[in-house]
Formats: sequence, structure tokens, C-alpha cells
Amino acid sequence: MVKSALVSQGYPRSALFQSLEGGSQGSRELLLALSWLLARGPLLEQLLAQTRVQLGDELPQCEGETLASPGPPAHRMETERPTDLRLVEWLMGKLRFRWRRLISSQQEQCALLSKIHLYTRGCHSQQRLGHLSVAETEMLRDPESSRQILQALESENNRLEAALEWRRCELVFWQWMDTVLDACSSDSPAVTSQPTVLPVISERGLGELELVKQELRALQEELREVAEPRRAAWEAQVGGLGRGPDWSTTRKALQEAVERELATLQSPWEPSSNPAQPQRPLRLVRSKDESPGPQGLKAAEVIGTLRAQEASLKKVLHQLQSQCRQELARLAGALPGLIWIMAPGH
Amino acid sequence: MSIVTVQLGQCGNQIGFEVFDALFRDSHCSQGLCSKRENEAYQASCKERFFREEENGVPVARAVLVDMEPKVINQTLSKAGQSGRWKYGQHSCFCQKQGSGNNWAYGYSVHGPKHEESIMNLIQKEVEKCDSLSGFFIIMSMAGGTGSGLGAFITQKLQDQYSSSLKMNQIIWPYGTGEVIVQNYNSILTLSHLYRSSDALLIHENDAVHKICAKRMNIKQISFRDLNQVLAHQLGSVFQPTYSEDVSFHYRRDPLGDLMEHLVPHPEFKMLGVRNIPQMSENSLAYSTFTWPGLLKHLRQMLISGAKMEEGIDWQVRPPFSGLPPLGKMSVHKDLHFNTSIANLVILRGKDVQTADVEGFKDPALYTSWLEPVHAFSMWKTQRAFDKYEKSAALVSNSQLLVKPLDMIVGKAWNMFASKAYIHQYTKFGMEEEDFLDSFTLLEQVVASYGSLGP
Repeated sequence: MVKSALVSQGYPRSALFQSLEGGSQGSRELLLALSWLLARGPLLEQLLAQTRVQLGDELPQCEGETLASPGPPAHRMETERPTDLRLVEWLMGKLRFRWRRLISSQQEQCALLSKIHLYTRGCHSQQRLGHLSVAETEMLRDPESSRQILQALESENNRLEAALEWRRCELVFWQWMDTVLDACSSDSPAVTSQPTVLPVISERGLGELELVKQELRALQEELREVAEPRRAAWEAQVGGLGRGPDWSTTRKALQEAVERELATLQSPWEPSSNPAQPQRPLRLVRSKDESPGPQGLKAAEVIGTLRAQEASLKKVLHQLQSQCRQELARLAGALPGLIWIMAPGH
Repeated sequence: MSIVTVQLGQCGNQIGFEVFDALFRDSHCSQGLCSKRENEAYQASCKERFFREEENGVPVARAVLVDMEPKVINQTLSKAGQSGRWKYGQHSCFCQKQGSGNNWAYGYSVHGPKHEESIMNLIQKEVEKCDSLSGFFIIMSMAGGTGSGLGAFITQKLQDQYSSSLKMNQIIWPYGTGEVIVQNYNSILTLSHLYRSSDALLIHENDAVHKICAKRMNIKQISFRDLNQVLAHQLGSVFQPTYSEDVSFHYRRDPLGDLMEHLVPHPEFKMLGVRNIPQMSENSLAYSTFTWPGLLKHLRQMLISGAKMEEGIDWQVRPPFSGLPPLGKMSVHKDLHFNTSIANLVILRGKDVQTADVEGFKDPALYTSWLEPVHAFSMWKTQRAFDKYEKSAALVSNSQLLVKPLDMIVGKAWNMFASKAYIHQYTKFGMEEEDFLDSFTLLEQVVASYGSLGP
């Protein structure tokens, strides 16, 4: 299972999968795999983030990006006998019910959270926060849970201190891994592996970055070459059109429309440097203050971002739906004499 | 999770009262045959779902009462208040001074829009008093004027405003030989509109309930109150608390949601019927004993043969033999109208409920071919007895039970429509013949869909 997980992450060394369980070669391969995982991404930070003790009430993370791209079309499933369409509709209906009940539960959770925040106003030692979170309220009500949270916090502290210690000694580890890899290649030269550059801290993936930069430059050059003549041709065509105040307002409106379209095209591709997109979990606080502080966000901003995401997802949905409709129409057209009757409620 | 009930018209309000009364009485019944702690949990669950607390401690029903004339509402309010055990909210009702003369179009096109804001505000206030809302009951008759037209309108507005909440319409199916000439028009208009905007239509047939009163309860002069009490008993046997499926024996949080997921996820199949057993007068109850095998055998046959009650069941009706080619004799069986189900929910309450064996309901022959019994059948139970019945079983069924009555009503309405009788009463309030035609189309489709379930 570990091996298949590594493969799905793109681990390049095939020697791992050929090695026997146990034995010095096996454990060496495991060590190399571990160091590969550590090197390629902020693994340690991710693990620490996942096991954080949550004291405040948190905003659910925005998962819009993963859903915005439609992904590859689903494979057509071959089954032993054709599935009755009514069964599919039955299952879809069940999904819809579950979805609605989930929304109801979330609304309930919001209402209760709001009550807790209201009722515990003035209870928090930190003036800035003002009221308690659910975890804090629970701690006050039930001494057992406060003991458990304390234990969790202590073990998290230990993990953090271990991580800091690791950071101090990391360089030694990488130098050692270099020697291990050398020993590996000298042991079995028949094992063909792409020269995996085990990253030393200061040169992380520099080669790849260089490659990407070059590709990007080439693309930009290409774009410019194609765009210039078209722009010139358009200018020539349009330049003689109209003058006067009417024309300039139309032109301005056109420019604004184009800019807006460009913005909507670009926004899915922008990295999350949007200030209204929280990079790390934030604590929900109900407060009369206007200013959320330097690290904070106003609820209105987050709502705005979510609404924008909702709008773009809806657009994608409509596109997909019209694609489906066109496909259905094409299929219907292929069968003469077929009449479509729309189901009630559509 | 809580359910807010909207009681519409004379019918809806009278039945609504009996429902709340039955629920309250049962939850405070001392003959629950279970431990004190169990009883308290049962009571608390029922209370949270259907009632709310007010300052002086008398529980208030989570309900909104709507009628176009004040008489019935006033009666209902005072009956509830007098008992001293529970009551309706002081400001939970809406009524006007005039009736609507059994005119569906008047209820839908005039009363509805005119009073929409006031009624929806009342509902909103009741919803805000719920910590968590599961959904709505809308109790209404199908064939009257106010209840049906206004009910269709309000259900649509509920769908717009509370799209994530569930809606179940409790529909009173009129007597076949009813008094209102245009009842069939009203019925098809109501049904077709509700089919589009509601999630589930739980149908209560007056004829069936009447028979239960006459034969099982031995009531000589059957009043509406008697009918309503039988109906309330049926609803209570479905929605009173039952255990949830997971290991921790807690009462189910959201019976309405669980029921809907099991029974009506398909948009073409929304009609539900309810049966329960045993039904008898309180006097006879003391002298009767029941066994689970006996009760379940009868209930199963009631399902298969489409019987309305446990008397006069046709035991000749059998499920068709699956896998064998139809013999000459099979046509005889087909005439006996075997009732094919899509999905069934059986609810068992009372002593030794864990010994009850429901294998008979998992027979694939009972169900349509495209849904397997493991998905089609579900069971809820609790050992806490319901309404003094030591053992009782209820069945909520999505099956062909209602095809015949529906087909009859559509047929009669069509005959009237073909000669344009009484249409002007509807068109003068903004409705068009097109609306009638749409209703006929939709209901014909429903009849066809249910009809094609056959073995």
C-alpha cells in the first residue's frame, strides 16, 4: 500500500519496488523514499498543520479551486446488463436529499455557534476576542475535556519542539543522504534511475525552474508574434470608423467589458494572493469592532470571495449543462420519430 | 430536529389538532412498557420535534393555523387551550372573514398572493423558534376550496423560500361519493401542483379511514372527529420516536429526512400510503393480545393486496412467481391486482420488538425489478409501546396502492373537462384551460409510471 501511494505521488526510483522486504537494501530504499518525500514538499509543515489542536471556532477551508476545473470526462462504464434509468434517478434523488440535509445541518450549526458566541460575551480573558469558542466553552463546562485538551496541547508542543530540532540538524541529514545515494548507485549500476537530484537546501529544483522560465519566455514571444499583426490589422480597420463623443463612450464601454472578461478569465489561474482568501485557518470571532486587525478578515470579504467562486462555478455548470443538452439533441436527431417529453418540474 | 406544521382550512386545522393531541397524549402515556429513563428520552424527542417551551411551561405546538374564516380556528385554539396540557401559539394563526366557496382558483390565484406575506411571516417566526429545522408538514384537503388552492400556493412558496428544508403534504383524499361537484377538478389541480413543489405526498383516504371507524372501532355515528383521530393515530405511529440505526441507542434525530431518503428520492414517484395494525377501540384493546408473526403476516398481506385495514383482506392475492414463464393460470392472478412496491418502510413499536421477523417484507417478488429489497425496504423500531397498544406496526409504502383511486379521479375530471363543465369558475380567476391540460398530462404520466412497475 505504501508502494502504490508512492507511485501515485510520482516517486521515480524503481529499486524500491524490486527490493525485498527487510534486509539492508530494503531499509535503505525506504530511507531514500522518506527523504524524497521530505524534500519535495513541506511535508513536515503539512503534518503538523493536520494535527493541530483547535481552540477556536474555524472557518471551513475554501475548496473552490479543486472543483472549478471540470476534469476529464467520465469513462463510460460497462456493466453486465444495462442499468435501469429509474435506478440512476433514484440514487440521484437520494444524493440530493443528503445534500439538502447537509445544508440544514450546517445552518443548524451556524445558529448554535452564533448562540454560543452571544451568550459568552465578556467571558474571554483576551479582550480582543471577547467571547468563547465551542472548545473553550466545553472546557469550562467539563473539567475532563479541559484535561484532554491540555494533554493534546502538550503533545503538540513536543512535536513542534522536535520539528525545530530537526530543522537545526537537517543539513547533516542531507549530506548523509548524498552518501547513501552514491553508495546505492555504486552497488547496483544496472538499476537505471533518472539522475534524481536530492535537493540540498540552497538549490531546490533550480534546474527545473530554469526550464520552466525558458518555456514561459518562448510562449510569451510566440504570443507577441501572433498578437502584433492582428492588433495592427484591427487598428487599421477600426481607426477609420468614427470620431466624436458617442464613439469614445462606446469605446470606453468596450474596453471595460474586455477588461472584465480578461479578469474573469485570469482569476481562476491567479495564485491565492487574494487578500480575502485566508492562507491559514482563521478563528471565527463575533465582534462589534469595524477593524479585524492586521491578521484578520472581515466576514463580508470572505462572503464576497465565496460568492464570486459560486458565480464562476455556476457558469461552468451551465456550460456543462448546455453541452449535455446539445449532445442529447444530437442523439435525438439521430433517431427519427423520437419525441422528447420533459419531466415535470424542469 | 423540528417539524413545523402548517394547518390549512377546516380540514387541516381539525386534523392538525388531533395530531398534536395524539402525539402529546402518547408521549405522556404511562403505559409505555419501558423504563422511566427510556420514557423520558422518548418524551423529550417527541417534544423537541413537535412542541416548544414557553415561559409558563405549557408546551406550544410548532404550528401555523390558516383559514379563510375564523370559526374553525377559534374552535381549534380553544380546544387546545382548554386541555391545559398543550396549546397553540397566541399569534400563530391567520384568518379572514370570508370563505372561498370551494373554489380552487380563488384560493390559488386570489387568496394566495393577497395573503402571501402575512402567512409566510407567521411561518418564518415559527421557523426561527426552531434550533434546527427538519422540514414542514402541510395538512390540507385535496378537494375543498381553501385548503386545496391555498395549500398548493403555500407549498410552492415554501419551496422557493426554504429550498433546503423538506416538505411533506398530508393530503386528505375525499370520499368517492363526495358532495362537492367540482371536487375532481380541485383534486387534479392540487395533486399536479403539489407534485411539482412538494417532496412527498402522504395520502389519507377518507373512504379507508371511514371503514376503519365502522368495522374496527365499532363506532355507530361516525363523526369527523372520529375520522381525524384515526388519522392522527396513523401519523403518530409513523413519526413518534424510533431508534436510530447505529449502535448507540439514541432516538432518531430526523425521521422525516430518513423517511424521504428511503421512500421518495425519485421525482416521478412521490405518493405514499400509510397502513397500520392493529386498529381497535380502546375497550376491545384490554382484551386482546397480539403476536408479532400474526401482525406482520397481516400487514404484509395488506400491502400485497392493497387492503385498507386488517379486516376483509384478500388472501388469494399472491406475489407473482419470478423467473417462471407465465402459465395460463397466471392471468387469473393478475386480475387479483397484486400491488407492486417501489419501497416500503415498516415501523414496529412495543414489547419484544427485537424478536419481530420482517423477512417476509424483503421478498424481491414484492418489489419492482429495478430496485433490490436491500435498498427498497427499511425498518424502524422501538420497544416503547405506542398509544397503549402493547404491540403495533405501521407501514409507509411507495407502491401502486393509489394508482386506482388516482386513475378514477383523473377519469372523472376528464369527463367533466371534455364538456367544459364549470370551467368558467376557474378561468374567471386567471386560470386557463392550459393549466388543466398540464395537470392531466402530469397525472397521466404518474399513473403510467406507477403502472409500469409491474412484475
